[in-house]
Amino acid sequence: MKNIYLILFVLFSGFIYGQNCKSIFIGEVLDFHDKKPLINATIKLVGTNKITIADEKGKFTFKDLCDQTYNIEVSHIGCETKRIAVLINGDTYIKINLEHHIEELNEVTLSSDSFIKKTKTGQESIIKTKDLERFSAASLGDALQQISGVSSINTGNTIVKPMINGLHSSRILILNNNVRLQDQEWGIEHAPNIDINSANQISVIKGSGSLAYGGDAIGGVVVVNPNNIILKDTLYGRTIIGGQINGRGYHISSTLNKNYKSGWFAQIQGSYKKNGDFKTPDYNLTNTGLNSVGLAARLGKKKFESGFELYYSYLNSEIGILGASHIGSAFDLERAINLGQPILIEDFSYSINVPKQKITHHLAKANYYKRFQNFGKISLQYDYQNNQRFEFDVRIGDRKNIPAVDLTLQTHTLLADVNLDANLDRKVDFGFMARYQDNFANPDTGVRRLIPDYTKYDFGVYTATEWRVHDAIVLDAGLRYDFNRMDAKKFYRKSRWEERGYNVDFSDIIIEETNTQFLTNPVFDYHNISASVGVKYRLNEKNQIILNYNLASRPPNASELFSDGLHHSAARFELGNLRFNKEVANRISASHTYTTSKFNVITEVFYNKIKDYIYLRPLDFILTTRGPFPLWSYQQTNANLFGIDLTATYKITNALQWQNKTAFIKGYDLDTNLPLIDIPSFNTTNEIKYSKEAWHNFSASLKSDWVLEQNEFPDFNFEVENELNGEMTTIDISSPPPAYHLLHFYSEVTFPLHKKTRLNIGVGINNLLDTSYRNYLNRMRYFADDLGRNITLQVKLNY
Amino acid sequence: MNTTKTININYLNLNSMKTSKFFISALFCLTLITSFTSCSSDDNDPKEVVEEELITDVTLTFTNTTDNTDTVVLASIAPDGQDGASTETITGTFTAGATYSLGLVLTNESEDPADDVLNDDIIPEADEHFFKYAVSGIGLTMTRDSDDTDGAEGSKLGVKTTWVAGAASSGNVQIALIHEPQTTDDSDAWGTSTGGSEDLNITFSGVEIE
Repeated sequence: MKNIYLILFVLFSGFIYGQNCKSIFIGEVLDFHDKKPLINATIKLVGTNKITIADEKGKFTFKDLCDQTYNIEVSHIGCETKRIAVLINGDTYIKINLEHHIEELNEVTLSSDSFIKKTKTGQESIIKTKDLERFSAASLGDALQQISGVSSINTGNTIVKPMINGLHSSRILILNNNVRLQDQEWGIEHAPNIDINSANQISVIKGSGSLAYGGDAIGGVVVVNPNNIILKDTLYGRTIIGGQINGRGYHISSTLNKNYKSGWFAQIQGSYKKNGDFKTPDYNLTNTGLNSVGLAARLGKKKFESGFELYYSYLNSEIGILGASHIGSAFDLERAINLGQPILIEDFSYSINVPKQKITHHLAKANYYKRFQNFGKISLQYDYQNNQRFEFDVRIGDRKNIPAVDLTLQTHTLLADVNLDANLDRKVDFGFMARYQDNFANPDTGVRRLIPDYTKYDFGVYTATEWRVHDAIVLDAGLRYDFNRMDAKKFYRKSRWEERGYNVDFSDIIIEETNTQFLTNPVFDYHNISASVGVKYRLNEKNQIILNYNLASRPPNASELFSDGLHHSAARFELGNLRFNKEVANRISASHTYTTSKFNVITEVFYNKIKDYIYLRPLDFILTTRGPFPLWSYQQTNANLFGIDLTATYKITNALQWQNKTAFIKGYDLDTNLPLIDIPSFNTTNEIKYSKEAWHNFSASLKSDWVLEQNEFPDFNFEVENELNGEMTTIDISSPPPAYHLLHFYSEVTFPLHKKTRLNIGVGINNLLDTSYRNYLNRMRYFADDLGRNITLQVKLNY
Repeated sequence: MNTTKTININYLNLNSMKTSKFFISALFCLTLITSFTSCSSDDNDPKEVVEEELITDVTLTFTNTTDNTDTVVLASIAPDGQDGASTETITGTFTAGATYSLGLVLTNESEDPADDVLNDDIIPEADEHFFKYAVSGIGLTMTRDSDDTDGAEGSKLGVKTTWVAGAASSGNVQIALIHEPQTTDDSDAWGTSTGGSEDLNITFSGVEIE
């Protein structure tokens, strides 16, 4: 652009003076982002033998040129070579910008699966494409468990919620292509709405290190990214087809990418998954089928200087919930626990009956960025999400086909971010976020709403800086402020209103009164400060240390504030509390990495102290005219969690590798001195892997999973009286299941079919010995065992 | 050269500003359009959910077949229906050796006027319902009357029953209403069943025969 006038001017004068081969061409090669001269850049006049090198000021000169258009090629180590046409007319001067720091500016586009860490001093782990592809038939929560310290809290084996260092649900932020997922994540039985097949790489950040994403990530952040865009004229794709014996499941997923050198790109991806009833070593898990359809499309232009992207993704899942888990009163729960196997066991079927969930999630986003010379990058993003959740329970008569839960959550978010990176040693990032959210609970369910209608407003501003003190030390720090307003309209039964004492504290929020209920309008404002500071210090070639401190604040979610009623699918009363404060977490962490060519050990320790920690616990039972029902109540307390995560890899020989992942965590309620509920027990996996490149990239591995019994758990058991005969019965809902050990086998081989076409075949056997076990963190553990042996076959075609 | 440079820079900024402006306005339009459509349904207050087939009051009136002034009334009141707390009251005592007929009243008092659940909902759908009874510690026996309504799965529903009080004793009386049972059996008049869900399960303690 800059030189258009000059060129026009020169062109014009050229017409007057005519051909002249005495012209001098002076140029200057500068770094785009900070305007520094690019010393030793090579400048070639294409089609001539003239070649020169830029001096220490980035300047170069060609003499004795004719007045005509020359094509010049400018190259520099680490930069993308640039070709431009220059019209020489008399003595000519031009400035050429190249970008020398594409990598440091996080703009690597060299390959579709290269990765960039999102944080400098966070406890961050990355799962690469190749490892994700193995989970094509599974879920995000399953894939994340490859990282030491990441576990999951499950409802059966298809609803898998990630858990980072013992924390889950609202305490974990999940980003899908830079959009924070808003999918009613408060619920323990609400799995994240992400199709694992649309992910190309996933970063897991323990703690709230990355404040640009939000300040409430008390547990951590999961960043799911699609393919990188390559600046190349290319068309490539991937198709995965697989099947598994357990559940007689099959899945197919296909992605097609078209990229242009000009920066234009388009991508389309689709996947379909189906399975029927799973089984344990001994019996079928009736009604545990799953149907899922995912679609995603991207279109945009990505250049170094500017770009935009339009993205849309759709996911629809229908998930069956173990039939035997539908229970009535507390006696049914006690019978189920004592029976040792599900009450309802039927022959295998693909059909999904009640209880079940049906969830549809739409996500659309548009973003735009532009880079300015000697300044940095400005990005803008708008996204819209629509989450529709139906939960169907076992209901009677006309209500059979009406869901008991029918929620629609719509979210609009606007993001603006400015990244000042002209000085690579001291980058500064700042931005703001505005979000509007609307939840609608459909009254046509005929069931009093567990979650009320509400609107929520969030505004956040943040800044972060990264400072490279010298080559071995990087410091970073961030600060964020968030304002949240929760504006709900909720019906309370008069009896509940008084029992909770709300008539004393909240009488002013009643806006309407009916026969038995009050309509209330609670409006709560929260001001949250979050901060982070960290340092990375490379001691020497082998050792690196990272220290990090995070402060995170999370306002209570709709479920924690407003839950009130019978959660049918769980056969329990759940009670929230309007008086809850926000949670504030202080987390200190330290990591040590030891790397040699053979041995690699990452040790991560953390201590997380959470003020006003909110959790749901079995409290008592409510005696109703249908018998006694368990009552679960949200509680607020002070808690601490601490632990150590270990990942060690040792290359025994070139072909043989051993890997260990171990996680140890403890969590306590500091007010009652009881252990926290739902904390993962000590677990360690050992994997031995043999790989031989010469045999078509053959590899085979045997993995051992050893999970100890959780011996520190709060005893929340309660006694229920059989009113007829006065017998007291203890409902044991606290005791964790015993320890277990599982073996898994996996082997794969890759054949090159054609120039760019590769066929990969993978065979796996999970739970090789068909061991019966139950997992403490699976809500179905009261009713049934976990999965038995599963043989999987997956064929992947890259083209 | 300097003037050219200034112009260039202005041009550059102008260009970028234009793009950004366009982009921002496009974003806001999008936001407005989508939020407008989504907000519109929401300006009104939410509708109250009135739960169907709520049963608030259950009254069992036992009347001596030879002396209609001799009655025993077992009443349960649960203002919030089956999911809320309830209070049970017992009025009167059974006379040893006497025979009683049981009159059932099930109402939903949360509606105005109160809804007669037994006659309006349960009896018309008798084939989906089944009453079960149980006693403990008290010498009561019962039979389902021959003119009792036919209930689910070939059993008598259990709305018309006759009770005989044995020797003096005291104990508990339980009534349960099963909705859509899979199987029922009234060969033992108290009734047994599998499957379905319990609409009611109420125990009255301290019932006496004198």
